[in-house]
Amino acid sequence: MSTKRTDSNGYTIIFSIVMVVVVGSLLAFFANFTKDLRVKNDQVKAQIDILSAIGVAADRSNATEMFAQYIKEQKVITGAEVSDDDKAYLIDVKKEMDAAKKGNTQRLPLFVAEKDGKTLYIMPVRGNGLWDAIWGYIALNDDLKSINGVYFDHKAETPGLGANITESFFTEDFKGEYIYDASGNFKGIEISKSNGDPNNKDKSDNQVDAISGATITGNGVGAMINSGIKSYLPYFETLKK
Amino acid sequence: MELLELFLKSIFIDNMVFATFLGMCSYLAVSKKVSTAVGLGAAVIFVMLVTVPLNYLLDQYILRPGALVWLGEDYGDVDLSFLTFILFIATIATMVQLVEMIVEKFAPALYNSLGIFLPLIAVNCAILGGSLFMQQKEFNNITEATVYGVGSGIGWFLAIVAIGAIREKIRYSNVPPVFRGLGMTFILTGLMAIGFMSFGGMLTGGDEAPKKEVVENVTPAEAVEVNEVATDSTALETVTDSLTQTVQE
Amino acid sequence: MANANVEKEPLFSKKNLGLVKDPLTDNNPVTVQVLGICSALAITAELKASVIMALSVVFVLGAGNVLVSLLRNAIPSSIRIIAQLVVVAALVIIVDLTLKAYVPDLAKKLSVFIGLIITNCIIMGRFEAFALGNGPWKSFLDGVGNAAGYGLILIIVGFFRELLGSGKLFGYPVFGDPVNKTGLYATGYENNGFMLLAPMALITLGLIIGFQRSRNKNLIETN
Repeated sequence: MSTKRTDSNGYTIIFSIVMVVVVGSLLAFFANFTKDLRVKNDQVKAQIDILSAIGVAADRSNATEMFAQYIKEQKVITGAEVSDDDKAYLIDVKKEMDAAKKGNTQRLPLFVAEKDGKTLYIMPVRGNGLWDAIWGYIALNDDLKSINGVYFDHKAETPGLGANITESFFTEDFKGEYIYDASGNFKGIEISKSNGDPNNKDKSDNQVDAISGATITGNGVGAMINSGIKSYLPYFETLKK
Repeated sequence: MELLELFLKSIFIDNMVFATFLGMCSYLAVSKKVSTAVGLGAAVIFVMLVTVPLNYLLDQYILRPGALVWLGEDYGDVDLSFLTFILFIATIATMVQLVEMIVEKFAPALYNSLGIFLPLIAVNCAILGGSLFMQQKEFNNITEATVYGVGSGIGWFLAIVAIGAIREKIRYSNVPPVFRGLGMTFILTGLMAIGFMSFGGMLTGGDEAPKKEVVENVTPAEAVEVNEVATDSTALETVTDSLTQTVQE
Repeated sequence: MANANVEKEPLFSKKNLGLVKDPLTDNNPVTVQVLGICSALAITAELKASVIMALSVVFVLGAGNVLVSLLRNAIPSSIRIIAQLVVVAALVIIVDLTLKAYVPDLAKKLSVFIGLIITNCIIMGRFEAFALGNGPWKSFLDGVGNAAGYGLILIIVGFFRELLGSGKLFGYPVFGDPVNKTGLYATGYENNGFMLLAPMALITLGLIIGFQRSRNKNLIETN
């Protein structure tokens, strides 16, 4: 076969350049075209998750509406300063925690909701499960002493075991649980295998029954809730006065 | 210590073959021998060592949303993450080409023994998978990313060598014809993956959680405890014998 | 190549249809040619994920085969592999962006594995073996056929894993409610949670291969 035109160096270079330009522009166009939808998807997901902590089931079609309906205030607590911020729900908790490790003050978002005439306080938490990160939202009742509801999610927990922290049979157990003990000390919640209260009737034992086969994930959840709520305690003290 | 934990985790627990089955196609189709497995595995470790940190830098400084801040404040909004796949695979293909040229020049004996495997590696799912998982895990610095990359490569190497060893031995067993070869290899790999799950107990979880042993709800087909991936033949023979006996039932 | 006088083959001739049918059975890319396993098994715990992945591969391989076929005389031989990689990567990026926009929850789970379609041996394999030497329509059929063969296996494995592992299909409970013990669960049946774990995908695949070979003795390997 005679040397094809396509084998020359010049042709190769021109072909490569054309290919890069065409592919690059095509992808950039497509990325831009879908960008708004993708950004909105992330925002809506955050809204759905926050609402689910107070027991409001929203879906992608009505999330923004319901978020506006239930969430009355969004605050950001930075050390001693508290400010209002309607983009607080978009704060990246992981970034904030990493920044805090480097010595910066962590920005803590807080959502004040109103449901059935009661004021509820929702805060994001984040921690480590067995395999990778776990996170969620904790909603406290207006007494700031008991839990109204929770939402959990995870990156890579074992399906059927650790992954079940998202299921209602686990999250329902948290409703009404006290995070303080009888003497008023902060206890948080312990995910316990030996609490003798599998149906979680006792709400003042500061314990929730663990999921069998998901011990480490459960421990991670407990640690996450406790350290998460602890960071908000100074602010809650100012509210209680 | 965290680095050591990350290293061990990426070898045994997030093992690319047993947890996510990456990189098996070319191997399964090509060979049934341990020697080729060793060559392929070594090549993978080497390429992972080179490509994962490079892709980490690419991700940190170009691809992440807001990564271009170093060019100037107004570039902080730019999100080039949609170019991830193309840039990662381009880096991998280029690095493999470079590695091939360097090895050919400076270590011709190694080049000859690796033979065809080096170019094949560029399209091995395990390499791209390693970089993509690295991106997902959002490591704090390049050392962690490199440790993860090398660990994943070593884990892949161990897995492939183990599978190769069993495949070599199983040719002398009475496998039912319909399962002979490919079918049995898949079943065996699945069983080995179950064995590897026992490594999950090595982990510690949660910041304030005490180190407890995990007893997951797993009943392996037979209690084959794989404490280390034994590459010496006697241990593997025991495993193979017990496995093939079960199959014959 | 072709003589101008050769009759044009009808679009859906037997040979062309064969391109689509063969990979669905005797020449299945996964169970016979042993390609494309990588990105497949880890995501088949849910039927929905399997279907989305299968459709993504059909798109990438179908469109990719056509593009490579159209460009086959224009690609410089020295950068042949790179050009193919660019085509696949670009198509996969489009799929990824589309999924992120329209099925975001699923896209999060599939994210890495969609990217791994690029290195899916089936795609590069078909480019080299077929698209580089055949016309666009045939290449399209070949692409769709092979991707369908791959997708079929994914769907079968996903079907069994989701059904036996969580009692659901496409997220809808089929056997009743496991928590409240209605339906089948009232008899004491429990979900085999193990099916949701990675190793079972491999074992299921091994069993499917065994089953296929019991029906087509030609595929049995001789030692």
